[in-house]
Amino acid sequence: MTMETKTEADLHDIRLHGRGGQGTVSAAALLALAAFEDGFESQAFPKFGSERRGAPVEAYVRISSSTIRAHNQLYTPDAVVIQDAGLLRSEPLLRGLKRGGLIVLNGEQPAASEGDGFRWLCLPASEIGERHLGRPLPNTVLLGALAAATQWVSLAALEKAVTNHLSRKGEEVVKANIEALREGYESPSIPTSPPISAPPQPRFFKGAAGAVSKEEQAR
Amino acid sequence: MKQLLEGSQAVAEAVRLCRPQVVAAYPITPQTHIIERLAQHVANGELDAEFINAESEFGAASIVLGAVAAGARAFTATASQGLLLMTEVLYNIAGLRLPVVMVCANRAIGAPINIFSDHQDSMAVRDAGWVQLYVGSNQEAVDTMIQAYRIAEVCELPVMVCMDGFLLTHTFEPVELPSQAEVDGYLPAFQFVRTLDPARPMTLGGASEADNYQPYRVAQHDAMENAQAVIEAFDADFETRFGRTGGGLVQGYRLDRATTVVLCMGTLMGAVAEAVDRQRDQGKAVGALRLRCFRPFPVQALLDHLKVAQRIIVLEKAISIGAGGIVAAELRAALQQAEMTIPVESVIGGLGGRDLTPAVIEAIFQQAADEKIDTQNRFAPDHSVNGEVQHG
Repeated sequence: MTMETKTEADLHDIRLHGRGGQGTVSAAALLALAAFEDGFESQAFPKFGSERRGAPVEAYVRISSSTIRAHNQLYTPDAVVIQDAGLLRSEPLLRGLKRGGLIVLNGEQPAASEGDGFRWLCLPASEIGERHLGRPLPNTVLLGALAAATQWVSLAALEKAVTNHLSRKGEEVVKANIEALREGYESPSIPTSPPISAPPQPRFFKGAAGAVSKEEQAR
Repeated sequence: MKQLLEGSQAVAEAVRLCRPQVVAAYPITPQTHIIERLAQHVANGELDAEFINAESEFGAASIVLGAVAAGARAFTATASQGLLLMTEVLYNIAGLRLPVVMVCANRAIGAPINIFSDHQDSMAVRDAGWVQLYVGSNQEAVDTMIQAYRIAEVCELPVMVCMDGFLLTHTFEPVELPSQAEVDGYLPAFQFVRTLDPARPMTLGGASEADNYQPYRVAQHDAMENAQAVIEAFDADFETRFGRTGGGLVQGYRLDRATTVVLCMGTLMGAVAEAVDRQRDQGKAVGALRLRCFRPFPVQALLDHLKVAQRIIVLEKAISIGAGGIVAAELRAALQQAEMTIPVESVIGGLGGRDLTPAVIEAIFQQAADEKIDTQNRFAPDHSVNGEVQHG
């Protein structure tokens, strides 16, 4: 019996921070589902702890064009998503973040972060979320912003992931989350400079949705 | 078509496809999602089974014992303390030769309380008479679950599918789920010849005196030995039908001319394979072997894959306190029996969820090359956040 050999050069690692109840683990699943929808291999997993409402929560996503065989934890992310800016005061949220890495923050950029070598993308995601969802939930807004800034996943794939993953919560919830996602994607704070890095080439296509998403990426 | 599924969900779908008639369980992290999903399937009418919420793991194991004795295909799942609470029943299930299939979502054992993944729980019941298959991915969890019922029912041995808690149960990964027709084609309906039946009264689990107790154990041991060929044959048949192997008895990685080989189980193979690639890039002749089938212990398959090695490092996530590495000890005995004199280094790590990264495994390769693994230094080094390996 043999296992296939591979390299992991084109892997994107994302770490998401939030508080229990903010949908951090769901956001990781949605991001991985979207990447998979776009034809990449992906993996999502929560920080292995006893989650409870209000407590700090972490979740992780790997996106790659080849099979992901790692099951150990992720230490040097390419991007960090922060759902609650208050966590910056108490948790080492930027630990291991690669130089030039992206931070997608729900809130205003801390003054002390000037010239820290990271790219900050800051938006009032709770307010946007509240407008669409009736609750200050930032997760889908931030995913939209992450997708727009990195092009690691397409908007179409994220919309499909939201539709499928949240369908059990009803049509209204799906619709509101897609609106929140779109507003995050179109946030004026997104840098107009080129994406963080070129997206990896999909290893396989999954029909029409994949084809549409490639066009989205080229846009 | 592949889907991105959480490991618990994936394995629950595989269980559903095997059409169990009785599902009994008691919730325990990190196993609970599996049973929740099956409960949903039963409630939604997608699985025609009796779902029984037990009052404890002892109860859950007892229920599936009775269900299989009555001729039903049954399933349960647990982890850690839950598995230990089942222990007495696990021995009885095996002694009664009842083909129960369960998932152990591998988790550390208290004290201290710890919910994270290591192999201490299933290793603690290694002598109970259950086949133990350790899976390396969610796909293998699905495929092994389907194979497990066929192995169990043909060998009349219970099978424990061991999947790393959280590292698989709570991780979303691409998984190919076979169709119901495909699974039905591979796994025949359960027809138990020793079914308890009022029309044909018999005693199950009667007493046995000194003159005839031992032959039962001999028969169990023989059945386990014979199961090796069955596990290989059913995996080969699975590969023919589904185009994937579940991993057979053992699965090698870059063993070609490898002089140093790491032997491991479960998801650890992912990080080990990455470490092997990095070492190979530096021109070092290293390889890896994953032990998928721990019980029965596949001596011949191990020797076949390890015979050209000059050094073997057994990296395991369990310890026999006061003795050391369990797989390492068994491998040393097998090599000695075969008159093969390959040194075996025993390294224990990953206990209570401590992460074994490729960097840590590379450091272990280096320690082995420097001949620094000895009785004083048999635990894997820790990792640190910045990726540097910390020793001690």
